[in-house]
Amino acid sequence: MDQTATLHPTEGMFLRIGHFFKPVPLMGYLAGFLVCVLWEQMAGDGLSAILGLPKMPVLFGILTIFKVVAGVVNLLIKGDAFDWATLVQIPTALVYLTVIYLVPLTLVCRLSVKPANALARFLQGFPLIVTALVQLGLMYAVLHIWAGVSDYRLITLKLTLIAVLFTLSLNIINGYMGEFSCSHPGFMAIGAYMTSLFTVGLFTSDKVLGDAVFSVGAAYLSFPLALIFGGIMAALGALIVAIPSFKTRGDYLAIISLAFLFIVKSFFENMQSLGGSRGIGGQPNWATLPVIFITVAFGVWTINNFVTSTMGKALNAVRDDETAAEAMTVDTRKTKMAAFLFGAFWAGVAGGLLAHVLRYVNPAMFSVQKLAEVLAMVYFGGLNSVYGSIVGAVSISLLGEALRPLEILKWIVIPLLLILVMVYRPTGLIAFKEFDVRQVFGPKEVD
Amino acid sequence: MRKFSVGLVLFLAAAMVFTFAAIDADAADTIKIGFNIPLTGDNPDVGASSKNSAEMYLKKKPKIEVGGKSYDLTFIFDDNEYKAESAVKVSTKLITEEGVLGIIGPQSSSQAVPAGDVANNYATPMISPWSTNPNTTLDRPYVFRGCFLDPFQGPVSANFATDELSAKKAAVIYDIAADYPKGLAEFFKAAFEGIHGPGSVVAFESFTTGDKDFSAQMTNIMMSGADVVFVPQYYSEVPLIVRAAKEMGWTKPILGSDSWGSGDLMGLCGDDCKGYYFSTHYAAAGAKGETKAFIDEYTATYGKTPDDVAALTWDALGLMIQAIKNTGGLSGDIKADRTKVKDALASIQNFPGITGGMTFTADGDPKKCAVVVKINDAGQFEFFKSVCPK
Repeated sequence: MDQTATLHPTEGMFLRIGHFFKPVPLMGYLAGFLVCVLWEQMAGDGLSAILGLPKMPVLFGILTIFKVVAGVVNLLIKGDAFDWATLVQIPTALVYLTVIYLVPLTLVCRLSVKPANALARFLQGFPLIVTALVQLGLMYAVLHIWAGVSDYRLITLKLTLIAVLFTLSLNIINGYMGEFSCSHPGFMAIGAYMTSLFTVGLFTSDKVLGDAVFSVGAAYLSFPLALIFGGIMAALGALIVAIPSFKTRGDYLAIISLAFLFIVKSFFENMQSLGGSRGIGGQPNWATLPVIFITVAFGVWTINNFVTSTMGKALNAVRDDETAAEAMTVDTRKTKMAAFLFGAFWAGVAGGLLAHVLRYVNPAMFSVQKLAEVLAMVYFGGLNSVYGSIVGAVSISLLGEALRPLEILKWIVIPLLLILVMVYRPTGLIAFKEFDVRQVFGPKEVD
Repeated sequence: MRKFSVGLVLFLAAAMVFTFAAIDADAADTIKIGFNIPLTGDNPDVGASSKNSAEMYLKKKPKIEVGGKSYDLTFIFDDNEYKAESAVKVSTKLITEEGVLGIIGPQSSSQAVPAGDVANNYATPMISPWSTNPNTTLDRPYVFRGCFLDPFQGPVSANFATDELSAKKAAVIYDIAADYPKGLAEFFKAAFEGIHGPGSVVAFESFTTGDKDFSAQMTNIMMSGADVVFVPQYYSEVPLIVRAAKEMGWTKPILGSDSWGSGDLMGLCGDDCKGYYFSTHYAAAGAKGETKAFIDEYTATYGKTPDDVAALTWDALGLMIQAIKNTGGLSGDIKADRTKVKDALASIQNFPGITGGMTFTADGDPKKCAVVVKINDAGQFEFFKSVCPK
């Protein structure tokens, strides 16, 4: 790599940063983040006080910065009063970010290269599930400590994880299968309602669905069953769309699936037994962070297995050229069906989780707005890639939170970003990238 | 790279110096109230009305006296995008991050129900000015609302039809697929039959959202011999129904509900709706006293007549401030203070709001009088009478 001399200085810097982090395995990053969150728990409040920040920055200081920016914008546009003293919060938030996150992360990552690689190599000797569980456990610990600092972080994290699962389930259809389906929020709605029907109808008393059928202390153990039930019902709903619409392709499928979304919404609005347009409230508080984390991790794993299997390859063949795929003995109809139902199943599970995080569900939640959101996440992150969906869902969720103080300008900034991504990377940020679990959890071998 | 690093270090050092120079505002003497309102999304007008109303309040009364101590009021407006998830996030943020004493909003039930759950779990008083879903306040001691409920509005309309329009038989036409009209139609029927006996609602005709032809229903209503038609529909549907009635030769009164008052009813209905009555939260034309002062000031500041949301937000805010004053002094421990404010809210008697006097029931719903307005010949909604529950 002797091109560094001819490169633009910033590019050289990025290359250097890339080189710097190249030998760090996932284990090293996890260790780094673990140190960061523990360090924040210890020193975060104190440092914020020293820096004169009103409160500990919640989302890496981004929110703090944009709040000040929003103040300046309002001053320029509407002439609102602006407290100039708050300007100092921009550099201090950056200092906070550096001291709490960047510096420890860099140090720990670099220093732990050898032991982390050794540990990863040692774990590789065991079946994959062991190393996966160890590292996922570490990941959960990081998230748990990070979210333990503030409840706002917790709710944001929960909803972001759900968005990851939902985005990934749509990516199966829009990315891997190459169709443009608009019915996904409809599947989410079916999942949310059916899961609620299961939990609220059977285990809690409310006005809409009547008294509890069972009153068991350990009722929360049935939550996985409820989620699976919601997912299966969503898949059945997908079957209803799939049977007539798979004779069509492209735009026609998009229109049919959009119609289905409206049908589902109207159906729930008119079902008085499910609360009509008032919705169902009072879901039990079962969607805790560990439950969501396990469900999403399991979902990512199965979806990744699905798309890297023979079925996934067949799906890509169908996307690229259906006629050729048919000629090469791929059962295109079966492949498309399976992918569509599988995507809908996970959308239903995501809906079930959402209903139990918000503890309320109504038909208006699953409108075109939801569709726009999830499509943005899929196309921003990248088609045909598990990485891409995770990146897309997390970045759009975080952006949405961070830019909230900008009010209406937020809806200029985010679409602009989307347009820029579409111009420079038409398939999204990280598209067509294989996600090899063994490699991710394994050591980084650097020559 | 070296230059860059040196620059960074110098910059950080400068930042540190500046920070110590920046003095934290006297946070102890401010009272923060959070607003969880839709500034973007499907219904930005609702958020804009709420924000206008609140900013006008703040200009007028930037300080409040609590227990002999003066506090600065600070309002924190946060955007819930008209989405349930965002409303939950915003409420959580306002309570745990901003440390507000109380929350005004969300306005619409689809956000107020889940956000109310959050407020109640964190023991923070919340007033939704505009939400009519019973679940918003049900079994949630910390959640209140600023508007009357449909189980109350139904009887108000029934009483008005009886007393003022001397109706003995009534007809109802409503959308069976939409939640609000269906609920209100049923409450009206129950109340009217409670006064005049079973069978006095002689026609109970339904249609489905999006229907454009009401001649079948109107034929039945004409045949039934009703003295009045109750139409609890939205402003976009009212003109069609009214015209269908007139074509059939209906000359008796038509009575509406508060959904008539939102949006551009007169622009769509024109002369056809003049002379009819509907029940609502307050009347803009011909208002008196405090209400008139509010309307005039709002119109002068923002160049438009305040709608229901603006007026109800003003009152919800007034209630919150009154409750804070009634605590008789804040301890500075935010959790204890929130509970104090909640208790003070629950025990408020006859708060003189611009949308009428208010006293909360045990559920946190106000017992307040509704206003019946008449659409006058100039197309304004003119105060006709105030109806209180019997």
